[in-house]
Amino acid sequence: MKIDTAARDLETPVALIDLDALEHNIGVVARHYRGKTIRLRPHGKNHKSPQILAMQMAAGGTVGGVCAAKVSEAEVFVNNGAGNVLVANQVVDADKIRRLAALAKRVDTTVAVDNEVQIERLAAGTRALDATLGIVIEIDTMMGRGGVRAIEHAVKLARQASATPHLRFRGVMSHQVPTRRQPDRSVRFEEGGRYIERVIEAKRAIEDAGFPVDIVSTGESWTYDVAATYPDVTEIEGGTYIVMEVPYAYMTEFRYALRIMGRVVARPDQYTAIGDVPIDAIAAPNGLPTLEGVEGAAVSAIDHHGITLSSDTPLALGIGEPFFLLSHQQDMTVNRWERFLGVRGGIVETIIEAQARGCVN
Amino acid sequence: MQRPIVKPVGTPVEEIDTPALLVDIERLDANADRLPARTRIEVWVHKTPAIAHRQAAGADAAGIAVRSIAEAEVFAAAGFDDIRVLRPLVTPTARQRAAALGKSVRLVLADDGVPLAGADALDGVVTVSSLVTSAPEPGRAILDCGQKAIGRDFGDPVIVDHDALRVSAGSAEHGVVAYPADLAPLAIGDWLELKPADVATVFTLHDFAYAVREGALEAVWPISARGAF
Repeated sequence: MKIDTAARDLETPVALIDLDALEHNIGVVARHYRGKTIRLRPHGKNHKSPQILAMQMAAGGTVGGVCAAKVSEAEVFVNNGAGNVLVANQVVDADKIRRLAALAKRVDTTVAVDNEVQIERLAAGTRALDATLGIVIEIDTMMGRGGVRAIEHAVKLARQASATPHLRFRGVMSHQVPTRRQPDRSVRFEEGGRYIERVIEAKRAIEDAGFPVDIVSTGESWTYDVAATYPDVTEIEGGTYIVMEVPYAYMTEFRYALRIMGRVVARPDQYTAIGDVPIDAIAAPNGLPTLEGVEGAAVSAIDHHGITLSSDTPLALGIGEPFFLLSHQQDMTVNRWERFLGVRGGIVETIIEAQARGCVN
Repeated sequence: MQRPIVKPVGTPVEEIDTPALLVDIERLDANADRLPARTRIEVWVHKTPAIAHRQAAGADAAGIAVRSIAEAEVFAAAGFDDIRVLRPLVTPTARQRAAALGKSVRLVLADDGVPLAGADALDGVVTVSSLVTSAPEPGRAILDCGQKAIGRDFGDPVIVDHDALRVSAGSAEHGVVAYPADLAPLAIGDWLELKPADVATVFTLHDFAYAVREGALEAVWPISARGAF
């Protein structure tokens, strides 16, 4: 592989990022937030790449930092240019809390809690390093994962965090996904707004109890514009928009930037082609990948050895010919690759490193 | 790349940084002893030279089988000298790489009649450890092991030694455990071991495997051919 190669000539399977589409997607959100107080907190889990985070920050409208799902992911981004970090997850073991505290001594670091025990453990770990760690209360709006179920509980945790040395209470956060697969704009604004209002309700209850809130971190790509209509929301945790995925196609302002390119390695019959993309190179927990640009053909199976492309009419793909796949869950696909090749107009322009790949700890 | 905290040999398995890919060495070796002799071991399943060496030693193997020329290169560098590549090579570059590799190892590019073995040789060997990070309501616990640590392409994991606990949803970064609310509740910090629905997927997600004997850490093995699709 070398720069200035035609993407079609690369060894496969390979993960390609269309730089025009990537820059377009970054620009859509940056322009939308220009002149507004709301900021994007780019979610690192969706690209795993400090290089892409730098592009997001340079475009403007961000918090100048990152959102991370895990402590090790936060470390990679802070080590590579993120000015601050929110770990949008619960962290409970002493080792990871120590690592969080060490991060907090370097940059503004915040973590989400939903329970008294977490606050006690975080306090012990940050005290040991004489660090100060930001705390947001996670509010469950619909995911049924972490997050407090009752607003009174959020107030109680805010009180506890505010009274705990080495912790700094910052506010609230939540995450949510649309319940309908292809919500139109009005459904997005109604449903997304409903979840965001729940977080704002918690924020106001905490403020009414006497604890100032300076972070309301919510939403994600599908509500980047919805959240911007609520002055209480300070930041959006946006990620999927960056390279996009098939189930998000209803967000028509964004373009697909990530493709896995494979090659045909066998033609068992004129309607079927076998490709060299194993399931572990793309991941398919949400349904089979989408084959792009081959009229009448689709992916019919994928396993550890390869992918099957099928068509009702004779398939024109010869052995050795490339084909392109779109992911149905982009962060799962991203997490399979250490690097992507940045392509513009079909020519390889750059290598995009994804140093946070595999950071599940 | 994964950034685990690596602890001293002898560390209890429950203290290994979670989520961790755990390999039960005794079961691995016992399975290797049962592999038929003079077969090719399908090392693409685990992508880990240290595991392949133990399997080859136990099985009196004829060689190994990999999926891609990139995997073959990794295993050749790790000392394997009889390697079958299962996937057809369709580009000039791949054929050039094969020709170069073929100067130092015996590279087999077509079915040579030697049977393949080893896809089942990891049965009961691999688990992923996890901690409860949140217990937000009765009958529900959230784990730090989600799809990115254990996979979901072939189904949800099951929890070892806890028949009544069920992994009910797999988020990317979280596992969600549902259980009858009258059961003794899981608490924040509880340690669980999960059995993946598909072993090969787990070796694509992690960069290190933790080899454990009798509940204690014995070695940390790089999954060197991870990502060599």
